[in-house]
Amino acid sequence: METISRPVVVKRMPERMNLKQARKFLKEVQPFLNSDRPQVVFDMSQVRHIDAAGIDVLLHCMREAVKRDGDLKLAALSPQSAVVLELTRTGRLFEIYENSTAAVKSFSSFLPNALRQLEPQVSQGEVPMLGPQAVNANDDGPGASLAA
Amino acid sequence: MDIRAILLVGGVEDPETGASERVGGVPSAYLDALGVPVVERVLRRLRHYGICRATLISDVPAANMPFAQRAEFDRGLPHLEAEGDEFWDAAEETFHGYANEGADLVVALRVGPYIEVDYDEMIQHHLDHHCVISMAVDAESSSLELFVLDPAARFDARKLFQSHMQHLRRDCEPFPVKGYLNRLKNAADLRRLTVDGLMGRNAVRPEAMEIKPGVFVGRGARIHRLARVVAPAFIGARAKVHASALITRGSVLEHHAEVDCGTVVENSTLLPFTRLGAGLDVTHAVVGFRHLAHLTRNVEVEITDAKLVDMLPLSAVSRLAGSTAALFAFLPKQIYRGFQALSHREEPADNPECGGPANALLDAPVLEAPASGVESSEFPSNLAVLRRYGDH
Repeated sequence: METISRPVVVKRMPERMNLKQARKFLKEVQPFLNSDRPQVVFDMSQVRHIDAAGIDVLLHCMREAVKRDGDLKLAALSPQSAVVLELTRTGRLFEIYENSTAAVKSFSSFLPNALRQLEPQVSQGEVPMLGPQAVNANDDGPGASLAA
Repeated sequence: MDIRAILLVGGVEDPETGASERVGGVPSAYLDALGVPVVERVLRRLRHYGICRATLISDVPAANMPFAQRAEFDRGLPHLEAEGDEFWDAAEETFHGYANEGADLVVALRVGPYIEVDYDEMIQHHLDHHCVISMAVDAESSSLELFVLDPAARFDARKLFQSHMQHLRRDCEPFPVKGYLNRLKNAADLRRLTVDGLMGRNAVRPEAMEIKPGVFVGRGARIHRLARVVAPAFIGARAKVHASALITRGSVLEHHAEVDCGTVVENSTLLPFTRLGAGLDVTHAVVGFRHLAHLTRNVEVEITDAKLVDMLPLSAVSRLAGSTAALFAFLPKQIYRGFQALSHREEPADNPECGGPANALLDAPVLEAPASGVESSEFPSNLAVLRRYGDH
């Protein structure tokens, strides 16, 4: 499915997402979330530490985006952030992509191969495990960037 | 060229081994895969290759017959119901009927396995090798229970059907299938078929509109504005997703499925007419016909509590009557509950041992003004402050 392309904001999350950093981060992304039908991607490749405040910010941003008929997607999860998202069972609320480029493209067309492995080989009878993900950070510098 | 087909649904040797090819007692072939029953998908494939005349023979248990009869496939198709040995006898008789009518070739397949085979290629292989009977095999050379037969080979057909498609009367040149293959032996295989369809790994395309990338919604489906659907996901025709529900990680809700408030459906399939109660967390499962098959634990459980998993009536009239009755019963039920709560409210116990001294203590001021008249700059040590909410 192809849709009319609107700008997609890619924001790289800081290395530490504690209360102080989370508030600062939220202030930075708030203008993007307040726009009409925001399309936002959080690049989590740099995240080494994320706590409840960081998760809270993610949920808040998602809520704000969805409220305005937009969406928030996550990309390039570091192993640390992947573990915390799985532990708090918040990972399933988001579409998670291997890298920011794929996440940006996913707003205009469905990219099944770019999604993180979603099914734990159901027929094998194995318990789903979240292994360390390949961190594939994009080449954008820190801060927000716009992709058409 | 007049090519006809015999589709066999059922006829599994030993249903106790786990390879029953059924989910909740219903043959997988009759269950929907992204909005269309598997058997209908097989028929469409046959028609695509010009094999338009077919007969369906099935052995659905009587208890599940209403659902099987409601499965949305071509109703013009000749359909026979038979059980046990009669099942295979019916297949043989159908073959003889086709032979007498002058068919050039007969394709016999069991669904059973879902195979994306190029029928043109298989028939060409059959003709090129001057075979009487051709058998489709997988990469490991095991039979896929798909055969092309020469109508003149009556004894070969008899041997094939009487051996339940396990033995041939003579050797033949096997035809290796290169396309997608799923044996549909259990709930996990059905789940894999739908996930592969969502991910574009096979020809099972969702029978729905793509409302946003990777999210497919069928005709008449209702999704509450406070529900969240994360791609890839499939919401079938007339399915309902209530407020605060979450449908995520390739979850599939087949037609008329319903997810109540706050329930999370993660990497799971809800079979048609299945209703999930409120506040549940369903992960890695196939739910339907009051059964839940957990795929990672490899266990299937029957759930009789309708508050958890229920099956909606198959008939639209029954569903409408049920909804109307629930609507009219709602207000009286609330009023009754209100009265019941009032009548059951217990007065606090009059315990003089507890009441007397405590009251006296409560009457006494906790914070005494200092005798000097200067306010203390510190909290007294006997005062505890309790905040109800976090930092704010």
